Amino acid sequence: MIEIVNLHAEVQGQKILNGLNLKINKGEVHSIMGPNGSGKSTLAAILAGKEDYDITDGDIIYKGESILDLAPDERAQQGIFLAFQYPIEIPGVSNAYFLREALNSINKARGNPVLKPVEFGKLAKQKIKMLKMDETLLKRSLNEGFSGGEKKRNEILQMAILEPLLSILDETDSGLDIDALQIVANGVNSLRNEETAFLVITHYQRLLDYIVPDFVHVLVKGKIVKSGDKSLALELESKGYSWLED
Amino acid sequence: MDNLQNKLIKNFKEKGLAEYPLEWLGNYRLDAINAAESLGVPDLSNEDWRFTSLKEFIKKDFSFFDGKAETYNKPKLPEHIKSIDGYFVYMHNGQLVSDSDYPFSLTRLNDSFEDLKVKEILLNEVSSKNKDFFYELSCAFIDDGFFLKLEGSNRLDKPIVIINSFDSDVDSKFVNTRNIFYFEESSSAEIIEYSVSESVNEFFLNKTSIVYVDQNARVEHLLVEDGNKNSFIFSNLKIVQGRDSHFTTNSILSGGQLIRNNVHPILNGEGCFSNILGLYLSSEDQLMDNYMFVEHLKPHCESTQLYKGLLNDESRGVFHGRILVHKEAQKTNAYQTNRNLLLSDKAQVDTKPQLEIYADDVKCSHGATIGQIDKEALHYLQARGINKDKAMLMLIKAFTDEVCEPMESEVLLEAFHNIVNDWFVKSELLEPENQE
Repeated sequence: MIEIVNLHAEVQGQKILNGLNLKINKGEVHSIMGPNGSGKSTLAAILAGKEDYDITDGDIIYKGESILDLAPDERAQQGIFLAFQYPIEIPGVSNAYFLREALNSINKARGNPVLKPVEFGKLAKQKIKMLKMDETLLKRSLNEGFSGGEKKRNEILQMAILEPLLSILDETDSGLDIDALQIVANGVNSLRNEETAFLVITHYQRLLDYIVPDFVHVLVKGKIVKSGDKSLALELESKGYSWLED
Repeated sequence: MDNLQNKLIKNFKEKGLAEYPLEWLGNYRLDAINAAESLGVPDLSNEDWRFTSLKEFIKKDFSFFDGKAETYNKPKLPEHIKSIDGYFVYMHNGQLVSDSDYPFSLTRLNDSFEDLKVKEILLNEVSSKNKDFFYELSCAFIDDGFFLKLEGSNRLDKPIVIINSFDSDVDSKFVNTRNIFYFEESSSAEIIEYSVSESVNEFFLNKTSIVYVDQNARVEHLLVEDGNKNSFIFSNLKIVQGRDSHFTTNSILSGGQLIRNNVHPILNGEGCFSNILGLYLSSEDQLMDNYMFVEHLKPHCESTQLYKGLLNDESRGVFHGRILVHKEAQKTNAYQTNRNLLLSDKAQVDTKPQLEIYADDVKCSHGATIGQIDKEALHYLQARGINKDKAMLMLIKAFTDEVCEPMESEVLLEAFHNIVNDWFVKSELLEPENQE
């Protein structure tokens, strides 16, 4: 589904990614772990098309084509979704209006019919129930005054409604209590099928008890230094990262 | 020196405006022209005008307009204004031209000077008199305009829609107009004032509205200043509120080379509430200067001000927010917020709060911000599939919509959205067919 080839990236002259290679096939769940500052969030931001980074070498091939020249909205329309580590608060834009605009932009781009407010309302209510969220969240301004847990769940709600093909979760589990973590994991697992893929960035092995990955990679200094199956996560938990850093 | 000021004083004398059969009116005008003369056209050294230079304006060759509308054709209006279900009042070049029947009384101001209420309103200024050249000028030339009165306990079922149109007759003219609204005890009404200019001629409009909201009355008001790009608009809105009254005003400024927007609510009875909202939408080299003067005279009143500016191109905005709480006005709550969104690197805003509090038990707050579109927010929306233009518009609308949140009238709210949308279309932020 996506292949990252020898990716080099920097921000304001500082090198962050140094030849990263990663291939994710349809139906797979990959997890990326690594110490602070290793480039995990940069990788997520670059995949989503954030403008602040300079790609100095390498390529990102998604569904057979390079996406480096695509704007963030075009990537989203093609099925890439990033659950943000720190979702932005946008006062004055209601969550429901935002979600409907997003879904309809994606529907339009894919040639699917556009949903009317009533149809969208039904869909949103169904998804919000599945994620055990409060319906009033739809009426409130996007993320404004949401608790940390509500923001993270709102990201998963967006994912559940937009039904992306490739979902990137940037530390979505950080700071969540066990109930919220289960809700997030249920949301992810409900979208897991042969056509979708996930890249789960996390600090904590705990998440991987609920979202069981097919592969675990360790990112150090902008490069993947070790890959393995889910047992690697357990190993990292007991040994830390220092043995991989040299 | 034959500058604009001297020219207007000469006009005043030539027209014999002080020699009116009603002695009080003659004196009223004479006092005002003398005050105007001694004040002079303000320059940048005047604290109330420090951000707005009138240097170019006073070079203009304006003369007093006292022509009478011979023929009058209703102006072309946007469909959304035309289709409002309301009591339409038409004014042309500052003069009342409607003579329909209304469920309120409406007379030309120059036919109303015998009315004791009009005399009382004009002579009792209530507050410390505005020491402003343009206000004095409006008193000196007082003649055109109307007197509108809604009787006690009447609740208007439809809004009053006042259409101000200007045409080529007023080229290079000074148009002076004064409207007096008097809402008696426990009455309630909604007002939309909409200006439209049918030519691109240059004119100087000095427009004063005095709104008396008597005790327990409720009035909601939407003012739209959309002159042409060569007009100089000086608007004075003065509100005198009685006990337990509610008044909400929302000004949308969009057209005009220069707009000076003075809003002066006087909370003159216990327990009254005043909501002062405004949105200035500027582009090209427009200058929009907002001068708020909220005056609390009595205890237990609340005022909230929310003014927002959306500035494009090389336009400039000014917000001057003065709150004066008199000694007697204990338990006052007075809030003020001014926010500005710059859509261009060359747009500029000056904002200045001014609080004068003589009572010791009050809650007052003020805050101002100036910013640009939040790039992180834009990215967030784009990352969900929404294209950049649409995402920008969503953020801009979120910014402008806040200004109408305190409004209660559905009709006024709808008019607000339509007028702001018109500006988005004009500014190419919104495609005409995508209007929503």
